[in-house]
Amino acid sequence: MPEDIVDLIKENVIQGRVTSDDEGMDKGMVGQPGVSELVEEAIASGISVADIINEGLTASMEIVGQKFENEEYYIPDMLASAEAVGAAMEILEPHLSKSGVKPKGKIIVATVKGDLHDIGKNIVSVLLRGAGYIVKDLGHDVETKDIVKAVKKEKPQFLGLSALLTSTMTTMEDTIKALTESSLRDKVKIIIGGAPVSEEYARSIGADGYGADGFHAVSVVEALNAEMKGRD
Amino acid sequence: MIRKGLAGGSYKPLTPEAISKINETALQIIEEIGCEVNSDLALSSLEKAGAIVDKKKRRGRLPRERALELIGKAPSEVTLCGRDEKHDIYLGGNRVYTGTGGTALYIYEPDTGQKRQATMDDLKRITRLVDKLDNIHLYLLPTYPNELPFEQVDVNRFFAGLDNTTKHIMGGVYTPDGMQQVIRMAEIVAGSAEALRERPVISIIACNISPFIIDGEYGDMVVAIARSGIPLVCPAEPLCGATSPVTLAGNLVVQTVDSLMGVILAQAVNPGTPAIFGSVATSTDLRDLKYIAGSVEMGLLNAAGAQMAQFYGLPFYATGGMTDSKVLDAQSGYESAITNLLCALAGANFIHDSAGLMEFALTVCYEKYVIDNEILGMVMRAVEGIRVDDETLAYDLIKEVGPGGNFITAKHTRRFMRREHYHPVLSDRNSREDWEARGGKSSWEKASEVVRAILDGQTSGLPEEVRSRVLSEIKGIVD
Repeated sequence: MPEDIVDLIKENVIQGRVTSDDEGMDKGMVGQPGVSELVEEAIASGISVADIINEGLTASMEIVGQKFENEEYYIPDMLASAEAVGAAMEILEPHLSKSGVKPKGKIIVATVKGDLHDIGKNIVSVLLRGAGYIVKDLGHDVETKDIVKAVKKEKPQFLGLSALLTSTMTTMEDTIKALTESSLRDKVKIIIGGAPVSEEYARSIGADGYGADGFHAVSVVEALNAEMKGRD
Repeated sequence: MIRKGLAGGSYKPLTPEAISKINETALQIIEEIGCEVNSDLALSSLEKAGAIVDKKKRRGRLPRERALELIGKAPSEVTLCGRDEKHDIYLGGNRVYTGTGGTALYIYEPDTGQKRQATMDDLKRITRLVDKLDNIHLYLLPTYPNELPFEQVDVNRFFAGLDNTTKHIMGGVYTPDGMQQVIRMAEIVAGSAEALRERPVISIIACNISPFIIDGEYGDMVVAIARSGIPLVCPAEPLCGATSPVTLAGNLVVQTVDSLMGVILAQAVNPGTPAIFGSVATSTDLRDLKYIAGSVEMGLLNAAGAQMAQFYGLPFYATGGMTDSKVLDAQSGYESAITNLLCALAGANFIHDSAGLMEFALTVCYEKYVIDNEILGMVMRAVEGIRVDDETLAYDLIKEVGPGGNFITAKHTRRFMRREHYHPVLSDRNSREDWEARGGKSSWEKASEVVRAILDGQTSGLPEEVRSRVLSEIKGIVD
């Protein structure tokens, strides 16, 4: 029964199980198919990509979000669910154009030159994938010219820049200047994050948004996305 | 995750030599000084069991061998059953459980800052509240219904307990007749007289009076409880500098003698009676001779009492978790926390008074039950200690994550985060901004919300047919 597979995908996203090896929240789930296996199965049995995404992934992440709000879920639970959705999206990616489903958007993320901290950026990546975005992670200590090159090549709608140090946060400004010089600044929305930066700082260096934490970053991207779609 | 019955015992205020000296001194008192026994039944029971009795002085002494022989007849483990089996508790060894205590006369209301007399309705509501507080494992009837005639108090107190929680009910009784009625009521609830002995859903407390007095009425009651086969608690309440020497060692000696005498009497009447060695030992305010309920010495005395109980192989009833504060302030938190923690870490089997009590044990407060439930959750986590094995050391995971990595997305984190760490229900861990946005509530205000939610929720009443049988057979219950 195809509906059953979608229900199982939903349940396993809530449980945060990427593959059959994962434990999830409830006992005795190891060995049962996880989201990756279930999505493969759903595609093979001809369930539409739109149904998998809307009813299997998006709906379940809403429930996960509620559980987080109700203090039932912790960040690692939320990340496990987001990771499951990310894995599903990766499997679904080659099928998207065929089925006419547009991904929500593409985002490049990087921790800027001189900064080795990537926990925050990694969490944001997982959460954005969980929200249905295609995320290209350039890593940490990334040269400004490599960020510019990637924006040129990948043509993302968003660029996320992260820095933890007050000494490296100024590199974010340099990156934005470099994009302007390459005439790419108006092609991409830039969101910044990291402990030393703030809403005011984001505005002062000409970024489009600021994410105070991982969840806030996702909602900022979602808001900018809705604004852009509204203009289309 | 509910933590109960975990092994304590890491905290030992007494060295083995100290335990041995306290024991020697206690046995010397039992042998040479003895107790004044104001109950004829108790005195003749002790005499029959080998006590040397001076009838004129009403004094009973026991040769140490005989005393130890009788103590040895008491079971080292006592099971106190809940109406629901999930609430059964197994007293003995160094396993730790918690419960309420009493008997308070007043209710403190933090929203008005006033106290008032406790009523029957309070007793029922507190029972319903404690029924839902997971870190309180046993229900000891905590308040006295001031509006009831004295002779109706026993049946109404126990009925309020049995009809509003499925946890085990422990309580003191005020009259011999009331006690018989209470046992009959418990038999109906358990299903039969045999079923009650098989699964005792109630237990009864009968105190000795320090120093060295077995009271007339309470002595009679100990004899009657021992004959009934219902678990019996024998606490003594020596107060440093008033009813015991001011020194903690001297207090421990008096407590040991008085509590052992209760156990000995129960075994003299009915060998094998489940008798629980109990301590309510504490300090005295030597400026006005008030009983003190929140002193650190009370924690020390009751932790040491746990070691003495373990030495005699008897289950232990400790006292901890109270405060002398009149309000829900810092004092009420730190006194309750320190005394509970010391008892629990010492492996006290049952910490009574561990929740709700303030102001020299005269007063209880609904909100304080919720606050103390939180303290007890933290205390039980401390008792649990630190598990060290390959899985918790996590070498493989550390290797995989490597320098500069993080553990937030590791499966290992999800596997252990809930059980390794106590998750508070009351403590506020929001940022100041979030805390303010949520109303900037203090812990007692949040506790008040928990009280309301529980009292508005499901009840654990007796099955209807049992309830109506109790009401028709037992006289004097105000329904």
